[in-house]
Amino acid sequence: MENDSIVNSGSQAGPENSLPDNGSGDSHNLLQPIDSFRKKLLSNRKLVFILKTILITIATIGLTISSILFILYFVPVLAEITSGHKTVITNDKELAQSAAYKKQLSLITKDIQRFSRKYNAYTSGQSYIVINTTDNRFFLYRNKQLIREGFCSSGSYTMLQTEGNKKWIFKTPKGKYWIHGKTTNPVWKKPDWAFVEEGLPIPPKDDFSRYEYGVLGDYALAIGDGYMIHGTIYKRFLGMPVTHGCVRLNDEDLEVIYNTLNIGSKVYIF
Amino acid sequence: METENDNKPSARKIALLILIIIFSSFILYYTVMSMLAPLHTLAEIKKEFSPEQSGKKKDDNRILTDSAYLKLIKERAHLQSGIIMAETDSIYLIINLADSSMNLEISGVVVHKSKMNSFKASRILTNGNENIISSMLSTPLTISSAISTIKKEPVMIKMAPRDTSEYKPDMMPDTSITEPVNYILVMTNGIRIYVYQEEEDKRSERMTLFKFDLNDRLTQTWKALKRVAVFKVPEYHPYLKIKLPRSDAKIIYRAIPKNGQISLFI
Repeated sequence: MENDSIVNSGSQAGPENSLPDNGSGDSHNLLQPIDSFRKKLLSNRKLVFILKTILITIATIGLTISSILFILYFVPVLAEITSGHKTVITNDKELAQSAAYKKQLSLITKDIQRFSRKYNAYTSGQSYIVINTTDNRFFLYRNKQLIREGFCSSGSYTMLQTEGNKKWIFKTPKGKYWIHGKTTNPVWKKPDWAFVEEGLPIPPKDDFSRYEYGVLGDYALAIGDGYMIHGTIYKRFLGMPVTHGCVRLNDEDLEVIYNTLNIGSKVYIF
Repeated sequence: METENDNKPSARKIALLILIIIFSSFILYYTVMSMLAPLHTLAEIKKEFSPEQSGKKKDDNRILTDSAYLKLIKERAHLQSGIIMAETDSIYLIINLADSSMNLEISGVVVHKSKMNSFKASRILTNGNENIISSMLSTPLTISSAISTIKKEPVMIKMAPRDTSEYKPDMMPDTSITEPVNYILVMTNGIRIYVYQEEEDKRSERMTLFKFDLNDRLTQTWKALKRVAVFKVPEYHPYLKIKLPRSDAKIIYRAIPKNGQISLFI
């Protein structure tokens, strides 16, 4: 190395390089401290070892991370390349003229017509109500047309648990239901959980304390299993999941629904 | 002057080199096996749903590349699948990639409509043999499991008061809390439907999505690595990745039953 630098400096000391504006000479001067620093660095074996270890560690970590990223993100992309080739459409003219082809297509078209008729028949022309328990909204339909929508309150998803490990879960059931009965000025016959929830002793089955007047609004529509669509005195909670499973509505909406739906009308809850 | 010993690579260097070679070879082997996986899945689907399996003649093959025929069988498959689901009283989902809609239905009645912002489907589903895919999708897909960032049923446990002195009336629920909604519906036939909320306004939401996606990738990769280690082709799951408004994504996830049915129209 030393010989090299001597040779280099010798060649630069020629007559053409002795001009004051000599760029290569400047760079040589600049390289000298770097070179001496490198020599010093290499002479310190401990430092070299530490630097080597750091570099190897960084390289290993880098390689490992890139391999993981390659496996996690790039391999699935590569796998997609082999995952299918689009059907080449030929639309064979000779085939299109054949009777067998026409017959096959006509059979499928008939199937489609039949299935479409069947499918459309599922949507009733009668009145029905749709209740969205996630957003706490209702949608009332008549003759397949939306006639009213608004806020309601549905089950709170609270699980009431006693020390004796008795449990009640307050959620509105989902699926297809229908109106079992319609009542005006309904009276709430409080079930056991209504007393448990307030820390009261459970009274006998037909005790007068079980009957509460005026809390269910002017109308109630039973949908089975004890669940009802009714009014509420807690109107500020409409649009929120706060009930024990029934669907609460405001007075105006409840009246329209009561007058629109008949016994047997469908109630779709999701 | 360097001695002869200095020119020889040390044992450590050789070991490192061997390790790098083994590691690189394994990655290459894993990549090749992963690329073989979709072909394997495609072959299985063909075996199960090809027209030959349903007893059709071989000379029908020209019809399988006819656009009018393919359009009709797709529509028929979609209706067939819809009718099967409509006959139940359960809530089901209809995903229509043709018009980017995702509708919840009960007994043939649309109860909730949502519009997909964007979607990405596995090439097997979009570019695969249309005749076979239509045959596969003519029966509804059934959910076998789901992974989600939200609870299916947000149940809160409340201990009953021992007496009236302990009773506290219910407080108004806090509806301002919006949790990120991302979930994966895994079908019994292996198809995976990823639903992501399209809103990514908050950094925390992006972070949740990243963690959720990374967790799924790690799980899937681990499963694949276990299979590859015993020289088996890893399982390939055709997928559908959908971006929906958060509220729609939440409604669908909360509404669809645990083992609910889904019809896919491509």
